[in-house]
Amino acid sequence: MNDAVRLDSLKPGDTCRLHDIKANDATAQRFMDLGLIPGVEIKVVRNAPLVDPVELLVKNNYVSIRHSEARRLEVIPLCRR
Amino acid sequence: MPEIVIAVAGQPNSGKSTIFNMLTGLRQFAANYPGVTVEKRVGRLDYSGHKFTLVDLPGTYSMTSYSLEERLARDFLLNEKPDVILNVVDASNLERNLVLTFQLLEMRMPMVVALNMMDAAENAGIEIDVERLSKKLGVRAVPTVAKKGIGKPELCDALLKAYECRDEANDFRLDYGPQLNRSLEVLEEALAGDSRASGYDPRWLAVRLIAGDNEISRIFAD
Repeated sequence: MNDAVRLDSLKPGDTCRLHDIKANDATAQRFMDLGLIPGVEIKVVRNAPLVDPVELLVKNNYVSIRHSEARRLEVIPLCRR
Repeated sequence: MPEIVIAVAGQPNSGKSTIFNMLTGLRQFAANYPGVTVEKRVGRLDYSGHKFTLVDLPGTYSMTSYSLEERLARDFLLNEKPDVILNVVDASNLERNLVLTFQLLEMRMPMVVALNMMDAAENAGIEIDVERLSKKLGVRAVPTVAKKGIGKPELCDALLKAYECRDEANDFRLDYGPQLNRSLEVLEEALAGDSRASGYDPRWLAVRLIAGDNEISRIFAD
């Protein structure tokens, strides 16, 4: 999919659909435990551009992850402000 | 009268400790997991002539072997073989909490699900068909609001029933889709005659092996 971007490039208020997790380790497992499963819709709630974390809304859950981790999530942007 | 050992398992912030305190009335003491400094809380409860010993496991999002807490919780279940697992879930966050529930069910041990924070779920407009959920999971689900002490007798009753029916196999089977189901069957068959697989549920082993679980892969390393 060539319109996929990394999650950390999105801005607060943007929504996207998770396309792929570029990891295959404990972090990937934790992503999935927190509901970050390919196909799920994600909204970027807050994003501190230089310092961590990035806050996401996944289903009914607020999930905070590091920028370094957000980079490993490939997403399809849905609605950009 | 034998002591009934109950392991309390759940995700972080599911109200696990509140349930633990509701059941034991805070009559708990702390113990350490052997070899590490993570605290294990143990409490006791008498219910209709039975003695329950509750062990509060560390909160984990899942039961893989990636983190220390997960390994501790899992090793306790696999090695100590408690009589019943009490899985505490946040009813207002059911979908995410069920990830752990499924993994626990796959270990095929007697289990009860406490649907905790039912008040928060109701406030959020979430309706849970408890009967149907119980049927689908193959174990009893009990609505609770532990911080208000709601659901204690029902929960105790369910725990006792789970203990009494401990020899009835739970037929819960997660559908992984045709492709993975086939692979799991093949692997299960291969494991059936392997002495290293004894003491584990073959389906659970197969799932863990396909998931690339290091601890479990090590058992079959050579």
